[in-house]
Amino acid sequence: MLKRFSVPILIGFIMTLASAAFAAASATESVRISVDAIIGVLKDAKLDKPAKRDKIRVVIAERFDFRAMSQRTLATNWKMASKEQQQQFIGLFAELIQNTYISRVEAYTNETVKYSAEKITDDRAVVDTLILSSSAEIPVSYKLYLKDGRWLVYDVNIEGVSLINNYRTSYQEIVKKEGFPGLLAKMEEKVRELANQPS
Amino acid sequence: MKKLLILLLALAYAPSGAGLDLGSGAVEATETDAAADTPQGEEEMFPFDEEEEQYSVSDPLEPVNRGIFWFNDKLYFYLLKPVARGYRWAVPEPWRVAVQNVFSNLASPVRIINAGFQGKFSDAGNELTRFFVNTTLGIGGLFDTAKDHFDIRKHDEDTGQTLGHYGIGPGFYLVLPILGPSDVRDAVGTFVDSRENLVYYLFEGWTYYEVKGYEKVNDLSLDKDTYEGIKKDALDPYLFVRDAYMQYRENKVKN
Repeated sequence: MLKRFSVPILIGFIMTLASAAFAAASATESVRISVDAIIGVLKDAKLDKPAKRDKIRVVIAERFDFRAMSQRTLATNWKMASKEQQQQFIGLFAELIQNTYISRVEAYTNETVKYSAEKITDDRAVVDTLILSSSAEIPVSYKLYLKDGRWLVYDVNIEGVSLINNYRTSYQEIVKKEGFPGLLAKMEEKVRELANQPS
Repeated sequence: MKKLLILLLALAYAPSGAGLDLGSGAVEATETDAAADTPQGEEEMFPFDEEEEQYSVSDPLEPVNRGIFWFNDKLYFYLLKPVARGYRWAVPEPWRVAVQNVFSNLASPVRIINAGFQGKFSDAGNELTRFFVNTTLGIGGLFDTAKDHFDIRKHDEDTGQTLGHYGIGPGFYLVLPILGPSDVRDAVGTFVDSRENLVYYLFEGWTYYEVKGYEKVNDLSLDKDTYEGIKKDALDPYLFVRDAYMQYRENKVKN
């Protein structure tokens, strides 16, 4: 593991805060482990597409905190929803997030991911990555928080656009027009639609 | 086919130049009231970040915008994308990247001028250096030599960002024919940018629109089906694109 770091960086870590450096490595490492696992699955020629998706789902479910994501997305609407509605929302939202994330990552299978920076404050971390493709560099950063000793992702920011903020504005508008049950119905329909699509 | 594309492009340029006033800076960022609330009962609410703020996007023209969005959608799937796909098949990727580099190099004045206007003189200097290096060593901009050999990276700046830098809000959301998502400020910006782009001075009349059309197709050929992904995944693609665009630009103005 240590071989991955060049010596100056390693010294830099030690020179600053030893404890912070330790936590620092683990936030980026957490993202790296998951991203590497996903890319590994995508590049695995022995698996067909549905099998790949299933495997990736497992990796994502371990790293993404869908409950936190759901709360952030719904904001005030979260508290107005019943427990059952909340549970239903988390399930559907997880499904949609996974789909969006997977289809984006699939498009960039052959590009390299560079881990450019990391900011840690207490139990929060932002891990900046760069997807390097032949024609562009796409900044993707992951927001994580420490929960029971594990770093979990609660937002993904692609080129300055936070996935959660984006969902929030759209979903709020749908709730305003069609109510919470209307939103859930729309999500259910979308999930069914995605499940029936061959890709 | 080509003529239609040109005609549509001409259409696109007319409205972006005409009659758009900068008057209504109606979009304001408001703190979400959720942030002020305390978690209820045994339910532990995930804490909100301090930067967590909610943009109320102003979209008074939504019905019209949705109409143009629909039009652009059809244009994309039935014309631009098939053309881009054929082109992608015919021309190897490195060539298409080189073409994109040339267009990017010709747009250098946009970045130089706007970095300068925002007082980012080192960025402006970098862009100027990039322009000279890539035009000469990069053979007319075919190669991004400045990045590849001198690690001088492109920094996107445009008139919309300059206006934003001086406190002018985005105004309301607009969907422009062919050009896609925009807002009042950026529509003006896009028009001004087109005049700071060397392409405007190198080609005249119809040829100009042909060249712009070609640039669009070349860009699309390098795109990884972003729009298809949105169409497939989003509950309401219109809202998704709108909110992503407004956030994206807001972020660009800040950087």
